[in-house]
Amino acid sequence: MPSPTLRPLLVGAATWALCWALLLGLAPWLELAHLALLMVLGALLAGLWWPPRLALPAALLAVAAFNWRFVPPQGSLRVQRPQDLLLLATLLGASALVAGLMARQRRLAAQAQAHARRSEELRAFAEHLRDGAGPAALLPHLQALAHGPVSLRLGDGELLGQASPGAAAGLALCQVQAQAFGPGCGHHEDEDAWYLPLRGRQGCHGAAQLPLGERPVRFDEADRLQAQALCDQLGLALERAQALASAQAAQEEAASQRLRNTLLAAIAHDHRTPLATILGAATSLRDQAERLDGPQRQRLAERIVSEAEQLTRLTNNALQLARLGQPGLALSLDWESVEELVGSVLQRLRERDPQRRIKLHIEPNLPLLRCDAVLLVQLLDNLLDNALRHGGGGAVELHARQRGKQLQLAVRDRGPGVPLGQRERIFEPYQRGEQAQGRGTGVGLALCRAIARAHGGELHYRARGHGGGSFELALPIPEQAPP
Amino acid sequence: MKKLLLVEDEAALRALLAEALRVEGYQVLAAASCADALALWQTAERLHEPFALALLDLGLPDGEGSELLKAWRGKLPLLVISARGQESGKIELLDAGADDYLVKPFAIGELLARIRVALRHRGHAVQPAQTRYQHSGLEVDLAAHRVRLRGADCHLTPTEFKLLARLVRSAGQVVTHRQLLADVWGPECTEQTQYLRLYMGQLRAKLEAEPARPQRLLTEPGVGYRLVEGEG
Repeated sequence: MPSPTLRPLLVGAATWALCWALLLGLAPWLELAHLALLMVLGALLAGLWWPPRLALPAALLAVAAFNWRFVPPQGSLRVQRPQDLLLLATLLGASALVAGLMARQRRLAAQAQAHARRSEELRAFAEHLRDGAGPAALLPHLQALAHGPVSLRLGDGELLGQASPGAAAGLALCQVQAQAFGPGCGHHEDEDAWYLPLRGRQGCHGAAQLPLGERPVRFDEADRLQAQALCDQLGLALERAQALASAQAAQEEAASQRLRNTLLAAIAHDHRTPLATILGAATSLRDQAERLDGPQRQRLAERIVSEAEQLTRLTNNALQLARLGQPGLALSLDWESVEELVGSVLQRLRERDPQRRIKLHIEPNLPLLRCDAVLLVQLLDNLLDNALRHGGGGAVELHARQRGKQLQLAVRDRGPGVPLGQRERIFEPYQRGEQAQGRGTGVGLALCRAIARAHGGELHYRARGHGGGSFELALPIPEQAPP
Repeated sequence: MKKLLLVEDEAALRALLAEALRVEGYQVLAAASCADALALWQTAERLHEPFALALLDLGLPDGEGSELLKAWRGKLPLLVISARGQESGKIELLDAGADDYLVKPFAIGELLARIRVALRHRGHAVQPAQTRYQHSGLEVDLAAHRVRLRGADCHLTPTEFKLLARLVRSAGQVVTHRQLLADVWGPECTEQTQYLRLYMGQLRAKLEAEPARPQRLLTEPGVGYRLVEGEG
């Protein structure tokens, strides 16, 4: 297979050879004018393949040869008849014209093709950017237009590709001035590379450097325009991404501000209720002291103690929830026994549960958990406190069992339960079950779920048949048993 | 009358605690800062009337209470009262020489119990160590290597006995996981918390009426264990 540059030459030569074979073969039967037409056809076909600098001399040579071989007197360049002279002149003109026209036609076609290729490249690159391609995607496109390794500087000063210190300085300057420079750009024409800004609508978002090879540099203006178009496309895309990111950040900031405000309002509201009871009981002790009997004073004091404890629990919940929300929080994990965790929660709740409403159903020989004991105790404390408060005064069950790779803990009561529409909302930090009627664990359930998730587990609410609710906690059992 | 040093920068809490302690028959000297506390300490030294115990708040206006902890450790029982609930911080305090800690807010009854326990243990520092323990039907005699539950002999494995003995020596006080592991299993085992969980479970199964609702061997989540204060 001949090389792509050689093939048109060969085809053109073959066309001429065929043309002359026909001329020589058909000469005895055809008149001179017919032969001349055949030759014009040959020049036209060869012109399709050969560049003008080859096609024109070839046409001249062919006319001379035609004169030599076919125009009387044959075997000489002289012309006998004046009309033959006219024929030769016409032949020469037509051949030259055909060769020229064909060359021009080919040049125009090549230009149109290059134009289409560039447009297609721009379109494809735009699509690429829309699909989320990063700035690095520009490099191969620019590389095709340059004569050396291309480098790129982005808005934040990050460099892509290998930029020499000189190139890096040029890139920085180009970005700051938002102006192209290098050969053909009208600035710094003596550079041996193009420095092109990545322009957006509102500014410059970086710059690209395209080396143009050894001096004196040769370049195609269309290539430069194409490179600039590609750069601008990236600049626009960067600008769009930046605008999108800042809009999103603003939105998130507003949302988190909103959440913080509702959260603070909810916490303040939750704190006000026990505070009101404490203040009421304490002022009653102060102002009515002489009129109160011993048991009455004792009851008020107990009221103050239990409300203060509730206030402590609410505060701890809010603090822990804020702590869990911090990025990069490390839990202090250790091997813990479920029975022991439950035991320490019950010890805390002992005074709140004098009638021992909490019934335990703990499977024997449960595996050790890998967890943060303080958090787990806080979780169970909140669930049990919630059940004691809203469980309708009946028994509260605590179940613990192993199911496959999960440890399941459930706190169940026979209270009114949580209405259908609120079963997920109760886990949101600023929501409260309406059945709570102004008394909730505040952000308690949200904290419980956050703790479960921080341990790779999950917490759900499930309504029980025959009334009541069940908070079900699933925790992963560690793959590796303790040594 | 036992003389206590109370270091607490919050005036309201300081007054409340001082009064509650005086009602219980203690003599209380109160300080609001590190400097005050050091001055009171030096006066007491000069007069040869040492304090029996110090209650220390952390985070004082002119320095960290933990500095006082370092300076006074070993000289008298030190009880830390702190608003910081971080468990790792509690362990550090205990390692730094605190005899026990109370996290604010706390009940006065709890504070009095801790003071009682700390004073009793310090008393034993100059007398022979506690070798007998008694609490609602449980009798432990460390010297005789005997454990009795409601009058009947209770058989413990050697490791269970060592663990119980370690807790009896600090009865009423919290003992950290590391301390227990180092003293019972050896200093190379201080990270093996799972041993503790296992043996504590076995011990509870033998000594507690309801192992899941322990009344004697109490858990301090994330910190350690506490054997309930003995009777008499």
